[in-house]
Amino acid sequence: MATIYNRSRTINWLALAPIFLIFVFVIAPVINIFVSSLQFESLNLLRTESTRNVVWFTTWQSLVSTALALTVAVPVAFVSANFKFKAQRLAASLISLPFILPSIVVGVAFLQILPSSFHRTSFALILAHVYFNFGFASRLITARWIQIHPHLDDAARTLGASPFKLFTTLTLPLLAKAITNAALIVFTFCFTSYGVVRVLGGPSRSTLETEIYFRAMQLGDVSGAMIFSALQVVIIAFLFVVTTKATGKKHEQSTRPTITRQIPLRTRKQRVVCTAIISSATAFSIVPVLAIAFRSMNTNSRFTTTAWRTIFSNPEITRSITKTLTYAVTSMSLATLLGLLSACSIAYGNNKFRFISGLTTLPIIISAVSIGLGIIITFDTQPFDWRGAQLMLPLAHTLVALPLAMRIISPVLEAIPDSLRQASSVLGASPRQTWLNIDFKIIRRASISAAAVSATVSVGEFGASSFLARRGTETLPIMISRLLSRPGDSLQSQAFALATLLVMFSLAIIFIVDSFTKDKFSRDSHA
Amino acid sequence: MLEIDKVSVIYDSSQLFANLSLTIQHQEIVALTGPSGSGKTTLLRCIAGLESISAGVIRLDGQDITNRPAHLRNIGLVFQDNQLFPHLTVGQNIAYSLKIKRVSKQIADQKVREALSLVGLMHLLDRTVINLSGGEAKRVAVARALIAEPQVLLLDEPLTGLDIDLHGRLLEDLSKLLRARGTTVLHVTHDKTEASAFADRVLDLRQLIS
Repeated sequence: MATIYNRSRTINWLALAPIFLIFVFVIAPVINIFVSSLQFESLNLLRTESTRNVVWFTTWQSLVSTALALTVAVPVAFVSANFKFKAQRLAASLISLPFILPSIVVGVAFLQILPSSFHRTSFALILAHVYFNFGFASRLITARWIQIHPHLDDAARTLGASPFKLFTTLTLPLLAKAITNAALIVFTFCFTSYGVVRVLGGPSRSTLETEIYFRAMQLGDVSGAMIFSALQVVIIAFLFVVTTKATGKKHEQSTRPTITRQIPLRTRKQRVVCTAIISSATAFSIVPVLAIAFRSMNTNSRFTTTAWRTIFSNPEITRSITKTLTYAVTSMSLATLLGLLSACSIAYGNNKFRFISGLTTLPIIISAVSIGLGIIITFDTQPFDWRGAQLMLPLAHTLVALPLAMRIISPVLEAIPDSLRQASSVLGASPRQTWLNIDFKIIRRASISAAAVSATVSVGEFGASSFLARRGTETLPIMISRLLSRPGDSLQSQAFALATLLVMFSLAIIFIVDSFTKDKFSRDSHA
Repeated sequence: MLEIDKVSVIYDSSQLFANLSLTIQHQEIVALTGPSGSGKTTLLRCIAGLESISAGVIRLDGQDITNRPAHLRNIGLVFQDNQLFPHLTVGQNIAYSLKIKRVSKQIADQKVREALSLVGLMHLLDRTVINLSGGEAKRVAVARALIAEPQVLLLDEPLTGLDIDLHGRLLEDLSKLLRARGTTVLHVTHDKTEASAFADRVLDLRQLIS
């Protein structure tokens, strides 16, 4: 995109920070993992039956979880994209709730609602993965479905297409790219899922991600962990390349139609179908959360607030609460700033910095656990022995949140027509004034959303933290995991109280940001 | 013959029109004019089965089709903005209704070629519809509607937005084509000159309300 900022040298400087950070803390550690793993004799590990079992289990549970998550997501997207109904926004928020929950909380929730005979089973894992991902998948599909012009459906109907034919010949092909993208993302999340598998899977249901942790931190087999990490990176990268090529040529209509698809519920059949789908999805989203809160006030089969009182009086736990919030603020600030810098470099760099988009995808492909492992094996010798540095944890959280922050800001920035900037220039504004009064005003809402997402990611981050947290720097997810691994009902209740606290933190961040942006920007729009 | 008998339509809780009656004879071309917002497009959508009416009856060749779903009415509609399927090529767009009816590929291919040569776009058979010009897209939309052999063809402001030269040429081509095929047509437009140049009979929507 050619913009009025193209000739400015500042863009080169803007791009430097995200490039440097990703190179030093993601690319270099991953290269280190690959080089080191190739040097080890334990490369033979790849040929063992236990490795094949882990890869097979990781793959098939991800495939089944993805298929089921999409099976639940498509009907929800159908209702959300095609109908208007009471409390639609509330229902949409509740259905999206699982995705903002920390993964360890989801694991803990299913530990509570499932009978103990289902603990440590594939069923529990798959159900938790469906829960975690269906709302997110339905959002992606809804966003695309809502863009399909309703008159296209009308044209197909006047040409003789029944509702079923209309879906198979028109809607499904037009949704194919969105569904494939959602499937890829959900599959990646399930494949690299860590918190859920650690809590629900146990030693018998190990995936590549938990195996990396288990080998590095429990067995001390860092070389084995590196081989698994390299294998995982290769598989996910291969999937991204294949899917990107497969969906690259599919048509994508990018503009929102001038008339809405969403119609009020008119017939009884519509009301029954929509109510059934939305109420089931909403119940599925909130029941596990309520179950955690309930369990936190239930110790030894009696109602008590002991667990809550204990967590606020235990200095170790209060310190971890403070640390969690401090890291959240730090990584929120860093991820938003870096996301903004990346988005600006891409938008104003005249294709020179388009590669940053791919670069910021790396933390998704590489996974949080591998980032954590990469950092501890790379920065382990003086003068770069940074493993115990206070900033390492929020920095790792920043890297995990950066892809999301960048992807929230970038589309908004790229959609700004340069004519707006040109109009500002001819009215006498300098490039700096134009940026502040045009670009920044338009992207500030997206920036605030990016900040909120980054903060929630940090609050619940468990994968990288498992490697980087030291005594005194434990975050809440680490604390929950530790409490769950110890026997005793009161300790378990404390774990559930902390999980509830994590949910409350995540909801509070979203609520504060949502109310702030709503008030602020509705005022702007009325002005 | 298409009969619209005392049809009323409520739109967004207010009455758009009431007791509207109109009869179109077999192979007749009728143009319907009226100011913006008078309900011309809504009337077409009701006839096509895309909107429901609050009172009255719609008959096609004597049969009551008021409650028949759109896909079973055999009434074609050319939209103002064409609504070509973006994921299909020109040829696939035109063949859409034949695919729905499971017409054999060989016959479908032949019919598509005939339809394309009829609208003078044979060279665009495998082209994606995204980059078609306004005139080309309109011709494809007409060919797509005609290949389904509808009993009545509804045209919703089909020439709006085209430049003057193209407008005149397309109007002439469309008129010749539809008359040669003996298609029954209801053409909605706000342009009275276009209406009288195109149709056997020109009606004002407001005069149809009793």
